Amino acid sequence: MSTRPVIGQRLKEFQQREIDRILGACTQCGKCYEVCPMAQYSKAPAKDGKAVVPGVLAVLRGEQGSPEALGWIAVCTRSGVCVPACPENVDPKMMMRLARMTALGGRGLPKQIEPKEDRDYFDRIRAFAKLQLTDDELKDWT
Amino acid sequence: MSAERITFWYGCNVLRHGDIIHTCLDILRALGYDPAPVGGPDYCCGTVKDVNQTTAGGMATRTVGRLNERGARVVAWCPSCHSHMHDFMERANDRHFDMTYLVELLHARRAELAHLLRQPVPMRVMLHQHVGFNELVPVNRMVPELLALIPGVEVLEAGYTAPGYMCASFTAVPKALDDIHANTVRAAKAAGADAVVTVFHQCYRELVGLDAAGAVPVHNYIQVFARSMGLPYEDDYKKWKRAGEITDPERIAKVGIEFYERAVLPELKKRPNLR
Repeated sequence: MSTRPVIGQRLKEFQQREIDRILGACTQCGKCYEVCPMAQYSKAPAKDGKAVVPGVLAVLRGEQGSPEALGWIAVCTRSGVCVPACPENVDPKMMMRLARMTALGGRGLPKQIEPKEDRDYFDRIRAFAKLQLTDDELKDWT
Repeated sequence: MSAERITFWYGCNVLRHGDIIHTCLDILRALGYDPAPVGGPDYCCGTVKDVNQTTAGGMATRTVGRLNERGARVVAWCPSCHSHMHDFMERANDRHFDMTYLVELLHARRAELAHLLRQPVPMRVMLHQHVGFNELVPVNRMVPELLALIPGVEVLEAGYTAPGYMCASFTAVPKALDDIHANTVRAAKAAGADAVVTVFHQCYRELVGLDAAGAVPVHNYIQVFARSMGLPYEDDYKKWKRAGEITDPERIAKVGIEFYERAVLPELKKRPNLR
């Protein structure tokens, strides 16, 4: 039997521990949503954070998220304003980051929001490197 | 005493701004360090791979391993790499190096840095600031304190803080980026600023479109340091952005005309949607 580590396994294990912690700690009070400066840009904004957070936790459990939850997850840009607003020290920024990875299909579960694909992302970086650095710098620095 | 060897982990996207990387290295050397720069896709932190955590995990393990092998303190430039290391990479891998964000290092060495900043740069500036990363490293306090070391620079209190941890994270929320652009120009004009100064290259890349559109001059803080230090580096990215193209055919040939037209030119032509 191979003893080679499975690629990405430790990251996934860490993420699952964080998800379990968040699911156990969050009381769904909705304060994280209420202070979020990005909620206004959601495709399905809600007046009450209590109506949104349960859908985020559903995504973390691998279930279908509500439109309000998926709309919020899609616009999270890690402002972190939610972190001090949380009375239970859940770390809602981590909650939203993990929910985003999950909803994008990144954790092997069905995709619930569409990723913005950029097929040239790394090639564009390499191109700008060629435009900006000398051959020696490219060899030694990248 | 020999110079401290450090690994300068600059990230990926800052490769659009060779002048920023070169200036950082000059500053680090002038402060007595021996920096080895590493970055690009082969040192990616994996934060851009939210859609595939197997790939992200593999990238994180590879990069932490490579940084471990170098056996030196890591000084990070990129806020995405630095926060991803803090939030994920070091919690799923064994990190064997100390880590500092460049702004923290410069701030800790600001007495020595001040001696390098000799040439006046007469400019009233507004710092373009975000929330988020500031909780990990208080850049919204530290960078103005560093800019104030430059003779002639006046940092104005404009009272605008953008949401999100940096502008590049808004590509999927274009309406919010439009608001950031409009609010930045409005705040800079209301404060009487001559220019907007960004902390992160990801914000510089987005906001330099405001400069190209003639709305307000935009610089990265390292570029202001370079001017005060008398460093000769040219900001090619701003030049190309203002022109809306690369005019040197030899440079274009380096990346190939087909790729240039498909993947580089649209970025250089893109302008902010100012309402």
